Amino acid sequence: MAAGILMPKAGITVETCIITKWRKNVGDTVNVGDIIFDYETDKATFECESTESGEILEIFFNDGDEVPCLVNVCAVGKAGEDCSALRPVLDGDETAAPAEASAAAPAEAAAPAAAAVEAAPAVPVSTGDIKISPRAKALTESKHIDPHFATPTGPYGRVIERDIRALIESGVGATAAAFDGASAAGMATGTGLGGRVSVGDLNAPAAPAAAPAAAAEPAVEYEDVKFSSMRKAISKSMTVSLSTIPQLTHNTSFDATELMAYRAKLKANAEKLGLPNITLNDMVLFVVSRVLLNYKDLNANMLDDKTIRQFKDVHLGMAVDTDRGLMVPTIRFANKKSLAEISAEAKALAAQCKAGNISPDLLSGATFTISNVGSLGIESFTPVINPPQTGILGVDTLMTKVRMVNGELQGYQAMGLSLTYDHRALDGTPASKFLRDVAFGLENFSLFLSK
Amino acid sequence: MPKSQYVDPAVMRAPGKITFNDIPMNQYNKTIEEEKANYTTEDFMRIYRDMAICREFETMLFQIKTQSTYGDVQYTYPGPSHLSLGQEANAVGQAYMLDENDFIFGTHRSHDEVIAKGLSAIHKLDEQTLMKIMETFDDGKVLKAIEKYTDATNVKQMAIEYFIYGITCEIFARETGFHKGLGGSMHASFLPFGIYPNNAIVGGSGPIATGAALYKKENYKKGIVVANAGDGAVGRGPVWESMNFAAMDQLKQLWEESKRGGLPILYNFNNNNYGMGGQTRGETMAYEFLARIGSGITPTQMHAERVDGYNPLAVIDAYRRKKPLLLNGEGPVLLDVLTYRTGGHSTSDAQVYRTKEEVEAWAALDPLVTYRQSLIDASVAVDDEFEKLLQYSKDLLHKTTKLAADESISPYADLKNDKQFIENLMFSKEKIAKFDDREPEVLAPKSECPRVKQIEGKERYVGGGKKVSKLKTFNYGDALFEAIIDKLYEDPTLIMYGEDVREWGGAFAVYRGLSDVIPYSRLFNSPISESAIVGSAVGYAMAGGRALVELMYTDFLGCCGDEVFNQMAKWQAMSAGCVKMPVVLRLPNGSKYAAQHSQDWVALAAHVPGLKVYFPATPYEAKGLLNLALNGSDPVCFFESQRLYNNGEEFHEGGVPTGYYELKEGDLDVIKEGTDLTILTMGATLYRAMDAVKILEEKYGVSCEVMNICSVVPLNYDQILASVKKTGKVLLTSDACTRGSFLNDIAKNITDLAFDDLDAPPVVVGARNWITPPFEFDEFFFPQASWMVDAVNESIMPLPGHEPTANYTPVEAIRRAKESV
Repeated sequence: MAAGILMPKAGITVETCIITKWRKNVGDTVNVGDIIFDYETDKATFECESTESGEILEIFFNDGDEVPCLVNVCAVGKAGEDCSALRPVLDGDETAAPAEASAAAPAEAAAPAAAAVEAAPAVPVSTGDIKISPRAKALTESKHIDPHFATPTGPYGRVIERDIRALIESGVGATAAAFDGASAAGMATGTGLGGRVSVGDLNAPAAPAAAPAAAAEPAVEYEDVKFSSMRKAISKSMTVSLSTIPQLTHNTSFDATELMAYRAKLKANAEKLGLPNITLNDMVLFVVSRVLLNYKDLNANMLDDKTIRQFKDVHLGMAVDTDRGLMVPTIRFANKKSLAEISAEAKALAAQCKAGNISPDLLSGATFTISNVGSLGIESFTPVINPPQTGILGVDTLMTKVRMVNGELQGYQAMGLSLTYDHRALDGTPASKFLRDVAFGLENFSLFLSK
Repeated sequence: MPKSQYVDPAVMRAPGKITFNDIPMNQYNKTIEEEKANYTTEDFMRIYRDMAICREFETMLFQIKTQSTYGDVQYTYPGPSHLSLGQEANAVGQAYMLDENDFIFGTHRSHDEVIAKGLSAIHKLDEQTLMKIMETFDDGKVLKAIEKYTDATNVKQMAIEYFIYGITCEIFARETGFHKGLGGSMHASFLPFGIYPNNAIVGGSGPIATGAALYKKENYKKGIVVANAGDGAVGRGPVWESMNFAAMDQLKQLWEESKRGGLPILYNFNNNNYGMGGQTRGETMAYEFLARIGSGITPTQMHAERVDGYNPLAVIDAYRRKKPLLLNGEGPVLLDVLTYRTGGHSTSDAQVYRTKEEVEAWAALDPLVTYRQSLIDASVAVDDEFEKLLQYSKDLLHKTTKLAADESISPYADLKNDKQFIENLMFSKEKIAKFDDREPEVLAPKSECPRVKQIEGKERYVGGGKKVSKLKTFNYGDALFEAIIDKLYEDPTLIMYGEDVREWGGAFAVYRGLSDVIPYSRLFNSPISESAIVGSAVGYAMAGGRALVELMYTDFLGCCGDEVFNQMAKWQAMSAGCVKMPVVLRLPNGSKYAAQHSQDWVALAAHVPGLKVYFPATPYEAKGLLNLALNGSDPVCFFESQRLYNNGEEFHEGGVPTGYYELKEGDLDVIKEGTDLTILTMGATLYRAMDAVKILEEKYGVSCEVMNICSVVPLNYDQILASVKKTGKVLLTSDACTRGSFLNDIAKNITDLAFDDLDAPPVVVGARNWITPPFEFDEFFFPQASWMVDAVNESIMPLPGHEPTANYTPVEAIRRAKESV
């Protein structure tokens, strides 16, 4: 019997995923465990393994389609098998409903008396509240069916079990997400498979009432690129940060002489001691993870304008640049980890981010973030707080500075630090003291280590 | 209607007159000197002691009830207190002649009778027997509660303390009471002493005591039965029914030689002149003298006489003369024992119905004063001896009351933690094949019963389109017959009676043929006295036997409402398991005879806690359920239907087994399986439902699962829920009027228990809320197959193309409710 392959639920909070690329086509044979497509959440990309063996009979969604979790994305079975029952019933479209589907319905109903139920049309029969029996409702939930598409044949206009069964058999519907939009904003033109409406259709601008007037100049050429879901998430988060948080940045620098010497020593002995390649950034992470414990208002989340949640441990967010955009994995309980442990974990997390296979659950829960743009030669910048955190520390490039020693100019290697903090949570003095303590720790790293 | 008795028109029409003997009134006139031949000094003094204990017991309750104190005991008792202050002499006089084989049954005002009987039994039983009773009754719990507090120097003394304590605890609702406190003041008993339950229904003991007397006669048991009642009870029909039942001519003319004679029962009317506040003589009754009414029952005038209940020796004298009559088959006997309660009906009685002078005039004759004086005058004892007895009574009551009121010694049943305490006492749930080991009395071997032979040739399965003539079909009536005859040959205590059950075989001929092999005493025609039929069955079972009785039609249930709903249902739990109630009451629902012979009253029986309710619809169910009922220890209302008696077994392949089998109690009978709609039937609607199934399946493609609710109480909802989980849709149907039908209860429970599985509300198709019209209009009143299809179409799943004939719309339902129909 043909079986459906579900869009996985890649984390507790994940509702929908976007299919980024199909690796198999209709007609291909797959085995359990074969990768059949890639998909992404707003935070990461994943590979979907087949949960069935057989031939791919039908693919219900295309590359780029956003699919609710736990909805069938394709059907696998024996060649030639009917898999229409597996076709997900998606919320959405009425304008694009194939004319023949609705036309066929009455004809079917007129057939045998036993098949009392009319085939469901591919349009929502109702919007808003509907009367539905408890049993039918339970069925919609277990099968991910939108009951608005059912033709109620129960007493007094009630949707009953047979109506939902008819809907499943007819295979007509739309995704839940699309339906919500449709009922709120009017109906959209379906561009999905078989004329189904997807979220994309609902977001499409309404067709212009009349053609624009012809212009004399050559048309301006451009391309409208839709944000990936990760881009959308970043967009949303940054807008919220800068539009709601009164934040400002303090800059400082510290003498990196000892830090660099210490790092050189580590590097020279790494192999012998079995240590990872500990970077300057790892050392910053280490110092910050200790100093933060003394600055509760910076190791915190703002719950609202009046409440701050101060954490007992430091969960350090670490900005990682990837091809798809900025990601911030979390080193949990960083304050309890050694330098070597922090270094190893930071490397692993960055690698997972770049590979796109990090668990979404590791992309949240930070109490403070460190963003390092020093390798790109930035001398000073304004990091933007990642809400609901109260601070973010920017790490700048190494540069040569001079100072007066015994009346003589002396050059030394300095590194810049840029702390952005939420002024609701703390004032300038504690923020400055935090920066000072971090700088001191880094300048006197061996002393700091021995603490 | 035996043919042996010729209704001779010449005799019947002959002129003549009925003569009566004189009815003695207060004829006792012996002096103490004369009575010294009959009583020792100790006897005289024990009579006084027992009266004093009765007096002190009621005084204690009066003080507790009205002042919440008695001596140094502080206790508030919220329950009933119908005291018999002033009525001590009649109670002690009655008990004097009775032993533990003689049973008494009481009323709401029976503390004195109970105490007097207990004291009398303790006097008569030897110490070893008394110890055994105390050690074994309720596993010795009552004894354990008080034994360390007693300073009694001998077993009899301890037994008195034990007994007074147990009764007091019972009244105070303590677990150390003789019924674990569940009976209380008006329902106390102590069976080991022959004290059977009191009864809170006026005259309620009449039929029950009669049944106990029937048990003694049927099973050759020793002793007599005393049915205590007040003069007010003479207004109650069941009392009259019972006296006639105990005296019916067949006992002397038709029953076997070994059992011939009237029932050994004495109807003892403690005539205190008031039925609550209604004055019987002069206001509410017409008899002038209560003793007169015996003349309306039997030619012997029930050996009735009026006895001076203010003189214990007069009462004893009467019992001394009447008891041999009863043991000699000359019962029943009626005594009009004149007495007077000097207290109110209850402690809340303002006594506006009588004068102070009247109360004082009787108080001046107080037996505790006059009897004492007569003994002093006759030099039986000196005054001081009586004072000592009074002091003894006070000490006894103070001690036992203190123990009974103390929760650490006499706890209440722990209902808070033992949530199933009462639940576990509602039914005895035993399987008892027979209640006695003796050989059942029969006239011939079972195999010689012509009906048995006739049945052998019948077809036990008629399903699957088999064509079998009506006469060759093993039918529902045969199935019942088979269960009954098997049990008659197994349990010697099983007796059966009802109206026209012997030669006629009952209105529906279920018993036809039994009179060929079962003697008269075990299968007899009762008078048309539903209260006496059911009430006596209750007493018969209470005393230790098994009874199968019937009402000719269910419609007559109203005639014995008290006996079914208050007596049969409640005594197992009210006695906390001291009695069992193996009574099966057959209740055939009629058809064809319109409004008063065609009703289905399952709901009435199912509503009352303490009754089991079965209602088979096929021969297979009928035999299996009647076997179950007749092999149990609980009361069963066994509904049948006139529409079913001729039906053969259509559903169970293999038909009705010839051997013994029982259905599983509570289970529904799965008639057919299906996937779309569950149909739950009860009674004869099963067959109409099967017609509806044909329409639903063949015309509309709705696959139906049909289950018959043959065990109504208890009922296994697991089975129903499993079906509803599958189908999501339920239709329930029975011939009961829809309003208040028990099916509504089941439908409601399904809704509660399977809400998320339901695709539509459960729908009940019952009869209209009218009188049952003449048979010609049956189709307008009782559920029809078409109504069931209509109801499915209207409320469960519209059926394309269906044109309904019955109106199941909400508008109509609301209209009917407004119109009380």
